Amino acid sequence: MKSPHSTISTGSRREFLWKGGGGLGGVALASLLQGAGKLEAASLVSPLASRPSPKLAPAQRVIQIFCPGGMSHVDSWDYKPELERLHGRPFDLADGKNFFSGKAGNYTKSFWEYRQHGECGRWMSSLFPRLSGCVDDMAFIHSMQSKTALHGPAMFMMNSGFILPGFPAMGAWVTYGLGSENENLPAFVVLPDPRGLPPGGVINWGAGFLPAVHQGTVLETAAGKDPITDLFPATEAAPMEGAGRDFLQNLNRSHLQQRAGNTELEARIAAYELAARLQLSAPEVTELRGETEATRRLYQLEDPDAGPFGRQCLLARRLVERGVRFVQVYCGAENTTAKKIRPNWDSHEDIVRDHGYWGAVLDSGASALLLDLKSRGLLESTLVICTTEFGRQPFAQGNNRGRDHNPGAFTAWMAGGGIKGGVSHGASDAMGWKAEVSPTYSYDLHATALHLLGIPHEKLSFYHNGISRRLTDVHGEVIHGIVT
Amino acid sequence: MKNQISKSKLHLAGLFLAAAMGALKAEVPVDFAKEVAPILTAHCTECHGPNVQKDKVSLQRRAHTLGVEGWRKVIEPGRPDRSRLLTMVAGPEAEMPKNAPRLSEAEVGILRRWIAEGALWPEDLVLKEKVQDGGDWWSLQPVKVVPVPGGAASHPVDAFLRGRLSVQGLDFSPPADRRTLIRRLSFDLLGLPPSPEEVAGFEADSRPDAYERLVDRYLASPRYGERWARHWLDIAHYADTHGFERDQKREHAWPYRDYVIQALNRDLPYDQFIREQLAGDVLAPEDRDAVIATGFLAAGPWDKVGHDETPSPVLKRGARADDLDDMVTQVITATMGLTINCARCHNHKLDPIPQSDYYRLWAVFAGTQRGERPLPTGGKLYGPVAKAPAPVQVLVRGNTESPAEPVTPGGLSCSGHAVPDFGNDATPEGERRRLLAEWIVHPANPLTARVMVNRLWHHHFGRGIVDTPSDFGRGGGAPSHPELLDWLAGELQRCGWSLKHLHRLLVTSRAYQQQSGTVHGASVDASNRLLWRMNPRRLDAESLRDAVLTASGCLNAAMGGPGYQDFTYQEAYAPIYQHVTADRPGLWRRSIYRFIVRTTPQRFLSTMDCPDPANLTPARLTTTTALQALSLLNNEFMLQQARHLARRIEQSPGAGASPEFHIQRAFELVLQRAPGAAELALARSVVDRDGLPQLCRLLLNANEFILVD
Repeated sequence: MKSPHSTISTGSRREFLWKGGGGLGGVALASLLQGAGKLEAASLVSPLASRPSPKLAPAQRVIQIFCPGGMSHVDSWDYKPELERLHGRPFDLADGKNFFSGKAGNYTKSFWEYRQHGECGRWMSSLFPRLSGCVDDMAFIHSMQSKTALHGPAMFMMNSGFILPGFPAMGAWVTYGLGSENENLPAFVVLPDPRGLPPGGVINWGAGFLPAVHQGTVLETAAGKDPITDLFPATEAAPMEGAGRDFLQNLNRSHLQQRAGNTELEARIAAYELAARLQLSAPEVTELRGETEATRRLYQLEDPDAGPFGRQCLLARRLVERGVRFVQVYCGAENTTAKKIRPNWDSHEDIVRDHGYWGAVLDSGASALLLDLKSRGLLESTLVICTTEFGRQPFAQGNNRGRDHNPGAFTAWMAGGGIKGGVSHGASDAMGWKAEVSPTYSYDLHATALHLLGIPHEKLSFYHNGISRRLTDVHGEVIHGIVT
Repeated sequence: MKNQISKSKLHLAGLFLAAAMGALKAEVPVDFAKEVAPILTAHCTECHGPNVQKDKVSLQRRAHTLGVEGWRKVIEPGRPDRSRLLTMVAGPEAEMPKNAPRLSEAEVGILRRWIAEGALWPEDLVLKEKVQDGGDWWSLQPVKVVPVPGGAASHPVDAFLRGRLSVQGLDFSPPADRRTLIRRLSFDLLGLPPSPEEVAGFEADSRPDAYERLVDRYLASPRYGERWARHWLDIAHYADTHGFERDQKREHAWPYRDYVIQALNRDLPYDQFIREQLAGDVLAPEDRDAVIATGFLAAGPWDKVGHDETPSPVLKRGARADDLDDMVTQVITATMGLTINCARCHNHKLDPIPQSDYYRLWAVFAGTQRGERPLPTGGKLYGPVAKAPAPVQVLVRGNTESPAEPVTPGGLSCSGHAVPDFGNDATPEGERRRLLAEWIVHPANPLTARVMVNRLWHHHFGRGIVDTPSDFGRGGGAPSHPELLDWLAGELQRCGWSLKHLHRLLVTSRAYQQQSGTVHGASVDASNRLLWRMNPRRLDAESLRDAVLTASGCLNAAMGGPGYQDFTYQEAYAPIYQHVTADRPGLWRRSIYRFIVRTTPQRFLSTMDCPDPANLTPARLTTTTALQALSLLNNEFMLQQARHLARRIEQSPGAGASPEFHIQRAFELVLQRAPGAAELALARSVVDRDGLPQLCRLLLNANEFILVD
């Protein structure tokens, strides 16, 4: 836990990496992964310079689907026959003081029927008819817990490992550790729900105290807009070519000549060249005309409800196909005035209405993504993670049709990228009220994801205000049971 | 009592027996408190104590070690070799302590004898984690009275620096030219570029004290407070909304921002600046400014749902705990540079801060809530609202549902400069804060002055003498020039805590005025810790925006009042902020007056490394990215400003409308210099083909514009 500065004395290269955003943690990690002294010169230009992943790492990239609002595990992935027996009886396990909205109602069984699926015989509710066909590729963690029952802090916890804002998101940590496979696109791309931002806003994909280059870049998913803000001038402006480019290059080159050895100046010149390449590569990603009719049907792009999320999932596939390291896809919003249904999974008053809607959306897009990645041979090197910020209660709320927040238990699943399909880890209690077997917070999920990417989670650190910070804080155990 | 007598009788009997057998040594029974407890505390209780009990082993009480209440049994009294405690630490294959040095043979011997003797352990003796020993840590020692090397002949700052340089065979670089110097000083003290006329005037000023006059003029400028308030507000993580899920507006936070600007402009002594921010409402309840100063305490994020909306008392307690953590962390890291928040869950792992000290600081703010309060002469402030202080207990592992021993209000025991007791449960809320403020600014506090002069140094030279400006503990950096730091800290107090005096001292040094582009010391000191040259810097986000507005002539210099809101606002459960292009004078104010929304950062500024106001930011990071290039080239604000700049040039009086004149003026307004012949020719072809606005756009993208030598 020494200060990074205090160890810098030997050369401007390390100095530059620190200032330029690589950070000593990044250097240490890169050396650790690639063998000391093998740091390529390219990484001096950009902290996101292509760094091949550790050779033996099963996962090269990540697609994380986030379902904000709190998905009900007992209505979806976590089968609780005991709830059918208890249905209608008063909930009697606690005094209710830790519930977000107050009093507990009666035990309420799943609003959807459960059946067994796949060779593994996994129980899954009829909320997800298509995903049920993918269970042999999926591994479930049934013992997830959150430290809070509040959306904002719980979102932060699931994304960054801390309930407070200001900490780097998992995507930021991963690109800090591994850089990008494609310098012509951002390394960490976020596809928010077109209806709006999730609870907590854009800091869900912030870089926190890591250099700004690691923050998630939002890719505009609506058609007709520039895919990245400021990719092109919004109003008329002369193109950056010919005389203009010559002028700026000349100005910067002669400025640099009088300041030999200032690596930051060189990096700024390189950044303008990279920006020019981004102007070509980003629109190519969002141009879907090249996709076949079968693919468009698979993602249900024309469906008014499932279409937008299908488009997000298809874009996620196109991004990882092009070497983007980390893609986060949101299935649900918060900051929106939409009234007809809840804007995300937060089903306090009518779970059939709201989970019914969002369930169909997730089912369609996520199953299409898994099938598509698999058929292209990408699934085995792409880790797909699906999570929410907390679960919902086994008892009813409102008109006996909703459920309250439940930080005590929820389910996340992973697939591809070194995940063993058809298995599960941990368990909630008989009612789905609290995680009982191998209870775990975000730490173990994050540790496992980093492990699959070839990063030891204890080693990925960054000094900030007195502490060497980690995604997994001082916790985290790799869940070896779900890893091949 | 009876028991004790019989025990000592036993001891005596043992002694006689031992003497009789000729084996006097080692037969005095082991004293648990004096011999065993220090061993267990030094090696074991961090993982098997009050906060962590790995493997269900707790060494807090004797009963725990015997396996009651579900703890794992680790001691068989009288049978050392069957006691897990001993077998885990004894021998060359010892498994414990994990990742730490083994126990010495002598220590193992004491444990063995103690267990053999029955593992006696007084009922009321509860073991805790060790507190780091800080007796010899440099930053906790009193500030030394250091003479300036070489006496009064040279500038004190240079005298100290030169001593270190000459040991390495180095010297300062030659002085920077006048244009470089005025640009550097202007951005540093005012956060704005100088006008071409100011540069010309300074270049032509042949008076021997031309530079000192410039320094004085800048320090007297109201722009100075606007610039340096930004640095302080970074430390206070100030913003104009709550943050978290329901990120509502704080319509009355801005008076605090104005207070900081004004306090700096009138050079309010730094000790008084601290007093007022912690307890101005108590010290001078009728003084509007003093009350506004306390906005400092409520500057950070606050979770409305957790405080106001959930009926769950557990969640409410959790939100309040985060609130208190935010307050004490901000206050102590800002003023004393110690990372006390590390002691929320356990004793500080590096610094001598026991967990109880941390909660004593909580007790100072136990009645301090956040909210709107009326001001003495009307108007409102978002600041601290006094309530009856709630009792505070140490929280095991920082968990609000695991309270342990109660604590009274107090400060840190490690600084050792004054008694850190601020009363008891009956002490009124405001009085606690007042006592904390006095303790922080106490003349003997080893940290307060050191931390502040180091912050000034950091901002002037690009890196602090201690390069972790908010961490003077073991996790932070060591001072590159400890004597200089102490001399400056002493000087701050000798001059009555005048920050402007310190600024003047630093910027009039030769070190500050030297060139930045030299390389002569690179092979010896590549990171320039010894300051053989000045450190060049990129403009921070706010200075960049302000410099663009200055060049275009659009900058609206109106001071103070509610911040400009460069967004549309839509009321909703989670309010929706959408940023718009700053395209009118009301939005062209200096960036310090921006209405800062926590959940929706201003994209242009955060791309340029403007930090997240959730974090306390003592030092900003500077990154270089393709998205920055795209923003500077294509962001609508930049394009509009380039057009305004072109219009300003075209409409300026003087040498008519020749393209050469336009190009000349564009270079002067953006780069504060005239173009060279080759530059003029290239610029001419840009103007001919794409027009003057395109040339302006390109100049605003030049490295020379964005970097300060």
